[in-house]
Amino acid sequence: MKRRSWLAALAVGILACAIAAIAAYSAQAKPDTKKADEIEVLSLWGGSEQAAFLKVTAAFTKATGIKVKYTSARDFIPDVRTRIAAGNPPDIGILPRPGYIATLASQGALKPLSSLGLSNAYMQGQYSAGWLKLGSAGGKLYGVPAKANSKSVIWYRPDSFKKYKFKVPKTWAQLLALTKAYKAKGLVPWSVGAGPQQSQWTLTDWFENIYARTAGPAKYQRLFTGKLPFTDPSVANAARIMTQIINNKYVLNGIQGVLGQSFVGGITDVFGPKPKAQLYFEGGFVGGIATQQVNKNLKPGKTIADFPWPTIKASLDHPIVGAADFAAAFKDSPEVRKFLKYISTGAAGSIWVSTNAVISPNKKVPAKAYPSVLSRAEAHQLATAKTFVFDGSDLLPGAFGDTWGFALQDVIQKPGNIKSILSTFQNKIKGQF
Amino acid sequence: MPVEPAPPLREGGQRIRQWSKRESYEGIAFVLPALIVLGIFLIYPAYFTIRLAFYEGDFRFNFFHYIGIDNFKELLTNDPDFLDLSKFPPGGALINNLRWVIFYIGLSLTIGLALAVLAVRVRYERAVKTAIFVPMAIAATAVGVIWLFVYSPDPDIGILNAVLHGADGGFKPIAWLGRPSFVNYALIFAYVWASVGFVMVVLTAAIKGIPADVMEAARVDGAGEWAIFRRIMLPMLSLPLSVVTIWLFINVIKVFDIIYVMTGGGPGTSSRVIAFTMYEETFHNGRPGYGAAVAVIMLVLIAPVMILNVRRFRSERVVA
Repeated sequence: MKRRSWLAALAVGILACAIAAIAAYSAQAKPDTKKADEIEVLSLWGGSEQAAFLKVTAAFTKATGIKVKYTSARDFIPDVRTRIAAGNPPDIGILPRPGYIATLASQGALKPLSSLGLSNAYMQGQYSAGWLKLGSAGGKLYGVPAKANSKSVIWYRPDSFKKYKFKVPKTWAQLLALTKAYKAKGLVPWSVGAGPQQSQWTLTDWFENIYARTAGPAKYQRLFTGKLPFTDPSVANAARIMTQIINNKYVLNGIQGVLGQSFVGGITDVFGPKPKAQLYFEGGFVGGIATQQVNKNLKPGKTIADFPWPTIKASLDHPIVGAADFAAAFKDSPEVRKFLKYISTGAAGSIWVSTNAVISPNKKVPAKAYPSVLSRAEAHQLATAKTFVFDGSDLLPGAFGDTWGFALQDVIQKPGNIKSILSTFQNKIKGQF
Repeated sequence: MPVEPAPPLREGGQRIRQWSKRESYEGIAFVLPALIVLGIFLIYPAYFTIRLAFYEGDFRFNFFHYIGIDNFKELLTNDPDFLDLSKFPPGGALINNLRWVIFYIGLSLTIGLALAVLAVRVRYERAVKTAIFVPMAIAATAVGVIWLFVYSPDPDIGILNAVLHGADGGFKPIAWLGRPSFVNYALIFAYVWASVGFVMVVLTAAIKGIPADVMEAARVDGAGEWAIFRRIMLPMLSLPLSVVTIWLFINVIKVFDIIYVMTGGGPGTSSRVIAFTMYEETFHNGRPGYGAAVAVIMLVLIAPVMILNVRRFRSERVVA
């Protein structure tokens, strides 16, 4: 009896040691269990945007036999950070923020494209210099501009415009007049979704369009690259102009409604089966989400359409604020090289734009590849923009794009405190560029 | 049920017999697996985190750039998102967590106790208890999603606004999560909903454990129901109540998931709590040292309660 219990104890002890050894070993070993002919691509799209991307990867798998495992991470920065720290990054990340590409590149986490068989000359043949500059850091090119969107469009319901005989506004004064006219009809003019599920970024896009139109593209560039402080009077001015529309009078459920509504929820408020508001501002991708995800009965041109962001200062015209997602490699392998090469071709771009979800920054994608009037107009707007500026919050380093969104959430709640909110933000971001 | 080996008995302050050497080796062998697991998954990470809190840390969580207690100084004096005493009522994650402690524990205990007392009196006790206990079995993430719908400012989706709108036609929908002054309480209530079932189940079991003759004796002596509740039930429930309170306390200091799902700490930073700040600083803002400092503060807050709990259990055993 005694002896048996001794043995049992010994067995348990050995077992525990074995478990500990395995745990220690697997912590050491590279967790590289996936098959060689599969790559993992991480990005933040879900819903219709994800479906569109999967169509692009399906064509790649068909041509090469390499499987693509798509991982969706809406809150992608923490995801990427943890995986890098654990030594297990995805093969490829499609990152929406040039500012974050620069951060990752400076940490040595990304592979330059030239080392992956995509020469600078080849890339220049596919993309214009402006896009390539955004995908570069420290003089090296890291990101393939995968998809783009204009963020200088405002979405409206043509049927409602027709009913009340409203015209598309060309200036900020006309936009305010339109807002007031809707209000006078007893309708809620705007819906803004800038609350739950990390939707504060929609406010940063409001600000950017106003700032580019009131301070000009040169100052815009300096502000978002750390050369002009956020305490500059031009910033407070643009924030104040933003609150001319985003206030308790003109937005659905007031400011608390803005902070309680998500980005997609806001689209539903205007284009859902039961519209509660009339106008919505966000980028070109709203079209795809509205028609494919929110309400399949929408008719582009009849019940959903967009107009360009109006001018505020005549001399500054209407610069286009745009955003793009860049495919960058965390690892090097023949499969990764093939995928990046594929994603940079006109053929991949054409498949992607055929889904109506995105615009391709690729020069080789012809206009006829765009299937709907909405996306064709957006592509035209991007291609013909006299002045183009990149989404400023995406240029901010690390996660400051989010912090800036939080600051703007404060601004709309306390328009009287704009100055102190901006100086608090400036203190946080000082020295981070 | 397996019979637990009896603890070494004392008689007149002396053990019946000393453990043999062999037995003590055996004891070590039996404890070893647990020790190894604890060492790898608890003690080492705790040591690592505490050490990291005194560094700036880099993106690979290396001990990079020793800065002493600067992280703590910054957290407690210069980070309005963590502790802001400059306004009234004070704000910041630490204060929000205090709100959670007061309201979450208070509400869970009151509602749970009330339900327990009432549940034992009804005939369909089991059905009632099951219904109230079900939320406990739902993952916190799902609880968050459910309550996102409940709180939606759109009366076609949000049941809370729909009910209020139904009661009063002129009612304007409220975005419960969109108001910095409401958001913490809205979150707390959702979490109470998910925890109250546990409190109720533990307490009903305890109530049933109260000897019936004590209650009968009280009734014979003419005590009213309220007096029985106050003078007999409450004192006899003090042990389970304190255990549940400690469980709730630990739950509330580490609350994270429901906030992550429902508000992401927003609007702005108004619904952040300690654990959320740790996540945000470490993984979002890429400041592992600073995040570790937040974790250490969390540990410091929880440790005394844990010690109290363990002591209490020990003393109970001696009494028993």
